[in-house]
Amino acid sequence: MRDVLVGDYLRSRGLTRRGLLKFCAAAASWMALPPTLAQEIAAALEKARRPSVIWLPFQECTGCTESITRADSSTLESLIFEAISLDYQHTLQAAAGEAAEEARRRAMQDNWGKYLVVVDGSIPLGNPGYSTIAGVSNADMLREVAEGAAAIIAIGTCAAFGGIPGANPNPTGAVAVRDLIKDKPIINVSGCPPIPVVITGVLAQYLTFGKIPDLDALGRPRAFYGQTIHDRCYRRPFYERGQFAETFDDEGARKGWCLFKLGCKGPITYNACATIKWNAGTSFPIEAGHGCIGCAEPNFWDKGGFYEPLSMARWGSAGTLAAAAAAGAAVGTASALLARRRQTKAAEGEPR
Amino acid sequence: MNTTANAAEELAAFKKLAQGIAQLASAAPPVDLPAAERVTRAKHVFIQKIDAQVALDLESCLHCGMCAEACHFYEGTGQGRYAPIHKLKLLRKVYRRELGPFRLVHRLLTRDLTAAELEQWQELVFDSCTECGRCDMICPVGVHLSRGVHITRQALAAAGLAPAELRALDAEQKRTGAIFGAGVELLRSALDTLRAQGIQAPLDKPRADYLVLTTAPDLLIYRSSIAATARIMNHLGVDWTFASNAFEAANSGALSGDEAAQRQATQRIVDAALACGAKFVVVPECGHAYPALRWEGPNAIGRDFPFEVLAISELLGREIDSGRLRLKPLAPGKRVTFHDPCKLGRKGGVFDEPRKALAALGVELRETASKGTTNYCCGGGAGVFLIGRAAPLRAAAFRIKRDQFDATGAESVVTSCQSCRMSFAAGAQQNNWNVPVESLVELVANNLAAPETTRGPTT
Amino acid sequence: MTLLDFARGPAMFWAMTIMVIGIVWRLAGAVLLARRRDRSVPRGDNRLVAGLRAVAMRSVPPHELEKSITFQHITGYAWHLGWFATLLFFAPHIPFLKSILGFGWPGLPNQAIVLLAAVTLAILVALLVRRMIHPVLKVISDFDDYVSSLLACAPLVTGIVTYAHLFADRHETMIGLHILSVEALMVWLPFGKIFHCITGLPLRFQIGATYARRGVKA
Repeated sequence: MRDVLVGDYLRSRGLTRRGLLKFCAAAASWMALPPTLAQEIAAALEKARRPSVIWLPFQECTGCTESITRADSSTLESLIFEAISLDYQHTLQAAAGEAAEEARRRAMQDNWGKYLVVVDGSIPLGNPGYSTIAGVSNADMLREVAEGAAAIIAIGTCAAFGGIPGANPNPTGAVAVRDLIKDKPIINVSGCPPIPVVITGVLAQYLTFGKIPDLDALGRPRAFYGQTIHDRCYRRPFYERGQFAETFDDEGARKGWCLFKLGCKGPITYNACATIKWNAGTSFPIEAGHGCIGCAEPNFWDKGGFYEPLSMARWGSAGTLAAAAAAGAAVGTASALLARRRQTKAAEGEPR
Repeated sequence: MNTTANAAEELAAFKKLAQGIAQLASAAPPVDLPAAERVTRAKHVFIQKIDAQVALDLESCLHCGMCAEACHFYEGTGQGRYAPIHKLKLLRKVYRRELGPFRLVHRLLTRDLTAAELEQWQELVFDSCTECGRCDMICPVGVHLSRGVHITRQALAAAGLAPAELRALDAEQKRTGAIFGAGVELLRSALDTLRAQGIQAPLDKPRADYLVLTTAPDLLIYRSSIAATARIMNHLGVDWTFASNAFEAANSGALSGDEAAQRQATQRIVDAALACGAKFVVVPECGHAYPALRWEGPNAIGRDFPFEVLAISELLGREIDSGRLRLKPLAPGKRVTFHDPCKLGRKGGVFDEPRKALAALGVELRETASKGTTNYCCGGGAGVFLIGRAAPLRAAAFRIKRDQFDATGAESVVTSCQSCRMSFAAGAQQNNWNVPVESLVELVANNLAAPETTRGPTT
Repeated sequence: MTLLDFARGPAMFWAMTIMVIGIVWRLAGAVLLARRRDRSVPRGDNRLVAGLRAVAMRSVPPHELEKSITFQHITGYAWHLGWFATLLFFAPHIPFLKSILGFGWPGLPNQAIVLLAAVTLAILVALLVRRMIHPVLKVISDFDDYVSSLLACAPLVTGIVTYAHLFADRHETMIGLHILSVEALMVWLPFGKIFHCITGLPLRFQIGATYARRGVKA
């Protein structure tokens, strides 16, 4: 199976040339590439070898896997997904136990230096026993498997940035892939979960060009993470005009006004939700009436609260201000009293 | 009404006094003190004078510069350093470094007061400030600038840096109780002259309700003012007297910043008032003398006054209200304007009473554009008239007053302060300005309705 | 921690805390100094009324004084009003203020705010230039004046730039810088001339009452 070219495999699965070109045109547009490249992408995919992919699930909720395998109306993405040779994936594979581990070791051996590693979930460093696979800690397994990898794709905010387990107080000592692996190319496909087609788009890009796509400062493909939700949000005109929903069921909410005041983190969140959307372009959180929670950003869980507007800041409390005032009053009073004493002394010492 | 003869006499006497003033500086050689000693003495005064009110002033200034736009010295010269708040710079520096809430930081980050700065500030708080308070009226946050200038004057005086002319007068008054040589002999001869004219002028009555003061400019130049005062007191029929041991209303310590001298001059008057059981002390037409006694007097000596202090112009208004002062109106159509002396008006609170007198005289009062609380100072207040090198500044201030007066179309200017009168006389000479400046007291005395009656005991 | 997290987190807490400590310290240190007793007999004017009158009327000086300060008087109040209107009535600011005060209020349209902010900034810049060339201001201005002026401008500049999305790919950084600029202003407030926002009205009261003792309407 592994030696079959992608093109042959896809045809064996019933994909016509026309269908392939349609997918490639779509992929080109996702990747902000000129549509004329569709032919080239198709040609490249034809000749690409089905790469071996080892999927390591660490401290995760399986949401990322669910996201990808939510076979939506379009089968093209799932076909691309099948265009890879997924040699190790807990949820999808048939094998279990020692057989599964053996499959992983064989895939690594046969494709040393060429296999892709996909990671979802964070890696707990607090205690190796917090999350293990076949008795091996996540950290050890990651280091072992990363050694022969061509590249690592960290799927989901947990793998990319530490995610929910890494949220304050981070009881398991969760870290991201990039915190442990420093010597391999890492593509962070963040999101909680990431948009399905973003995952397949990244894979398609890798398959097509055989190299890592253009990444932003956080290691995310610029093709999908180059703009903020805010910059592509259809409710932006309401933001500009200052028309905000104040509660989830007021007139503004019903009219679809901007959700800034209800905590939308769109302005600081880079993802493709506002354009590509979810469920085959059905909708995305803001369209459904809930503000963006910023799930593609590091520490999104610790940014003050999903319903706290971006313009909010932690100024303390009435108690801390009262304490500050008391401290100021104490020092100020002392200053004045000492000054008065100085004045009295000066008056006493005055020659008449 | 002043006769031409009178006016000529007064002008001659004025020129003589002006010459005397010009020579004052030589009577007081510079006070030589080591730089460090000057700084210590100045700081000593600053530290004692800065209270909670002054502190709030100094914490609030926003350097907007509007105070300068109210100041006749800035307006007349365009020199930024005459901005009132700039005059307070040393005061603020000492406050911040010695008494302020963040003094530890200020001591680390700023330089200390220097003797050179004190010397530099002499021009700013003496020559170019009459403590008129016009800047106090405009400040958008309400900084009491004139008070800050006065404190700075006191600090400089302690450091031996009061201008020579003021120190000279200071020394004279401390020694003799009089200024410009206008001693008790001159008073006696002036009163003799009055009596020769048929005007009662009691001196040293053991008991009297009203203790009346006079001042050197009256004794030396404006004798008719003394006559006018006596005639008015007699017309009122009250029990009044002069005192030979306390007749000089002027307080040179208030001008030079010498607190001890100020206290001494005040005490002399208070003692005389207590001695004759006076219920009232009447201050003649002298500007600074009024607030120095009325408002600062009790604080200077640390005792409440059991008597009331009245400016003569204030007394006029009161007695018109009470009906005791009866005036015959002048011929209709006399257009006058009234100049509120800064020390009687803004610093004294005497605005309405002079105007009542003018109303009773039936004159057509044409107010200047700036009047009352916003009136421009004559430019000579707080002793600035005495400082020789301040002449150009006074000239610039005079031109502002002249323009204000001219704009009213008034035939004459009436005022109630000899210092203002002398400032205007000097300015009129320099600028060929012919509008007469009259004394309110003289104007009133020349238009009393009924013949003077002698009620009560005579001398 | 990103710049924005820092600005919305520890920076805001410490800026607010330092501001409160500084204000109370400076105020107590000044007003608790000795108070002199004035032994003179005051005229009959009601000093409380006079003080309150001064608090209100110092903003409306008599014409003969006002005509010498008209430009500065008008632009001074204009920029203060514009600055506070921008702070109080720009919709995204209101939830923050509500979290402190416990109550909110309706905002103004964004376009109105950005216009106000731009005019305010233009006036501030004009006054800053004036400060450098005017014969009085040149002499009396110091480090505090210039820093305070720049700190008043900074939230407007960063706010306008952020609102206009001028650095669209760094929007979160601009929000962070805007919040930090406000925090810088808060930290400086107790230590420079911006403190007049605390003492100005009480001082007006003080001078009104002081002069009222002598029967003078200040």
